[in-house]
Amino acid sequence: MLKRVMQSQPPVSPLAPRISYHENIQEVHSEVPSKRASSMGELQLPDVAPEDIPITVFHMKKKRKKLSISEFARAAERRLPQYQAQSTLDSTIMTRSLRMSLGSLLAPDTVEKRGLMRRRKIHKAVDMQEFEGRVEQNMLKSKGQNYLVDSQSASGIRTSILTSDAEMMMNSTELFVQSQLDEQNQNKSSTLEPQLSDSKTSAQRSLISDADQEKTRLEGLVSSVSTNERRTQRSSKSSNLDREHVERMTDVSPETPAKQQEEKQDHSHQSNPMAEISFSEEEMVCNKMYDRIAAGHGASAGYSERLEKKLSEKAELQITAARDSRVETEMAPSAGEELAEGSVGAHGSPGAEREITRGIGAESLGRHSHAFSSCHKPEVIPFNETDEQEDELQDQAIMLEFNSSVEESAEDKTERSASQEVSMKTPAFVRAPASNLLVSTPRVAEPDAPSFPQRSALQQLQPKTVPMRSGTSQRKPREPQVPRSLIREIFRHFAKMPMTRDAFKVVEKCSEKYFKQLSNDLETYAHHAGRKTVEAADLEVLMRRQGLVTDRMPLNVLIERYLPLEYRKLLIPIAVSGNKVIPRK
Amino acid sequence: MAAAAGEEQEMLAQRLKAAVHYTVGCLCEEVEEDKDVQFSKQIVAAISDIAFRQCEIFAKDLEMFARHAKRTTVTAEDVKLLARRSNSLLKYITQKSEELASSNMEQKEKKKKKSSTSKRERTPEEQEASVTENEDSNMA
Repeated sequence: MLKRVMQSQPPVSPLAPRISYHENIQEVHSEVPSKRASSMGELQLPDVAPEDIPITVFHMKKKRKKLSISEFARAAERRLPQYQAQSTLDSTIMTRSLRMSLGSLLAPDTVEKRGLMRRRKIHKAVDMQEFEGRVEQNMLKSKGQNYLVDSQSASGIRTSILTSDAEMMMNSTELFVQSQLDEQNQNKSSTLEPQLSDSKTSAQRSLISDADQEKTRLEGLVSSVSTNERRTQRSSKSSNLDREHVERMTDVSPETPAKQQEEKQDHSHQSNPMAEISFSEEEMVCNKMYDRIAAGHGASAGYSERLEKKLSEKAELQITAARDSRVETEMAPSAGEELAEGSVGAHGSPGAEREITRGIGAESLGRHSHAFSSCHKPEVIPFNETDEQEDELQDQAIMLEFNSSVEESAEDKTERSASQEVSMKTPAFVRAPASNLLVSTPRVAEPDAPSFPQRSALQQLQPKTVPMRSGTSQRKPREPQVPRSLIREIFRHFAKMPMTRDAFKVVEKCSEKYFKQLSNDLETYAHHAGRKTVEAADLEVLMRRQGLVTDRMPLNVLIERYLPLEYRKLLIPIAVSGNKVIPRK
Repeated sequence: MAAAAGEEQEMLAQRLKAAVHYTVGCLCEEVEEDKDVQFSKQIVAAISDIAFRQCEIFAKDLEMFARHAKRTTVTAEDVKLLARRSNSLLKYITQKSEELASSNMEQKEKKKKKSSTSKRERTPEEQEASVTENEDSNMA
């Protein structure tokens, strides 16, 4: 039977590739030894739906041969216009490869056909995401302005195909954002976060680019922060990267009122198209960080003013207000100038930062280095660190900085795993003096693959900044708290209804206790391992205790499921290494 | 072979569960007399089931803690970490561990004295060893 089928193949060979393509898509034909046989079966499917399926599975029977040819011709004619774009080839391999490459394009077409069933979309959720992620990565690699369109279209296509809408949407938008950011970064050589790249943010950045480099950088950060804030406010998801960035920035960068304004403005700008990627927590943290960083840089006071006008959300104001206070306590007087000097003195940082900005992590790092450079001009350490970070493209460097506060890392991790509703960061740098911030800021981004040497180095920096800030601080040290607006917004988003004040108080207390416990646990775990810094392993232990990571559910799967693509790249380097593994320093 | 091993495991598990159930029953009887309350059989069964499952979880956590500290042996430190969740339990366990450590020290001192009286040649070495052992036990 099969031999006959094979023999009958040649007459239909020109159209066979197309058919096999269809067939491949069909779920019925998971295994198609002979493409043509299956293709014939596939052709029959639309015509004789129920009967053909078994036939196609078994690759054609003798009876169908004659029918199939005529049907094939008809079907082929039908399908010809669809697949004209395709370069059909005889080899099954070609068709299969075609399918792979054009799968996204054809998937919508195939869906319409009756009897044409899609190949099982997700054998497991991870596969698709990985595939999508890798495709995006490939796209990212070939960056260029031309790619914006491609990424956009590809992302659009991808979104249509993706099953988990939220994440996929995030991925697609992330891709676009990244490409946009990269473009901008390249243009302006400013460290901008890719995550937040909305069209608006890019526009904002373009505005900023007119200003000094620092200003552009700062605003980029601010805009990203503000976008993050917006996101958090809108959705519960926040970007880990943003948080990381924010963290870095907050710790290092002096805060200035101008920054707040910028942040506010950024927030106002980034309103709607924000793709919600990560947890609201992170966003909040990032936002806070950004606010602080923005304040620290204080480069574009003018921008901030403009931005202020656009600010509409209260939370942002609150946050920025808090940050302003912090900023004031910090290097308020010389913030702007220092930043300018620092940025200028950031030696190779601009150039390095530019390179870094290519990747998301790079951008955050650049910002980080920025913050460092701005804060510690004369210090060589930050630069070295930033260089390291740049090389590693790890946002987690920020995490290192803030290891002192275990809570944050715990919070990030736990929040992610736990209900996102409670995703709040206790260390809300609201009116917290710089010293407190330094101590308690550590917002651990993804607790994976951190660059530990950087952590210690960053920690060294903290004491240096403390005396400076304490000198200028004018407020009593207060325990950092998660901003109420953030809590309310996150809860509201997930509960899909507003909260009463009493309920809000209870929720706030609960979240505070939760985070305290979390940080306590993390600190204990780190101490148990004889370390002084919280690491990814500690968080994994915590998650295991919480029951989120089990023997069946490894950490990497959780990462892939719930975190945006950029974090996945950072946390699971093997998944995106493309068989190139660069050993960590 | 695998099936037989699995069955053996099952048998072992059953026996362990039975042992736990019996112990829980005895404890419940004590509490009944103490507090003058009644324990239904389902409750006892439920408690024993929970205890058994929790033991499984504890074992896994302990192993994880030991591995986290880059050790291959589960020590009292791991147990303390495990019990940290409940404050009272932690205090209790810490007390007990301290008592145990002190009793160990006492025993070692006694041994030291005995050995010193019997063989004076080795006392300095034993003293050093006992001192180090004490330190280790304290640390553990």
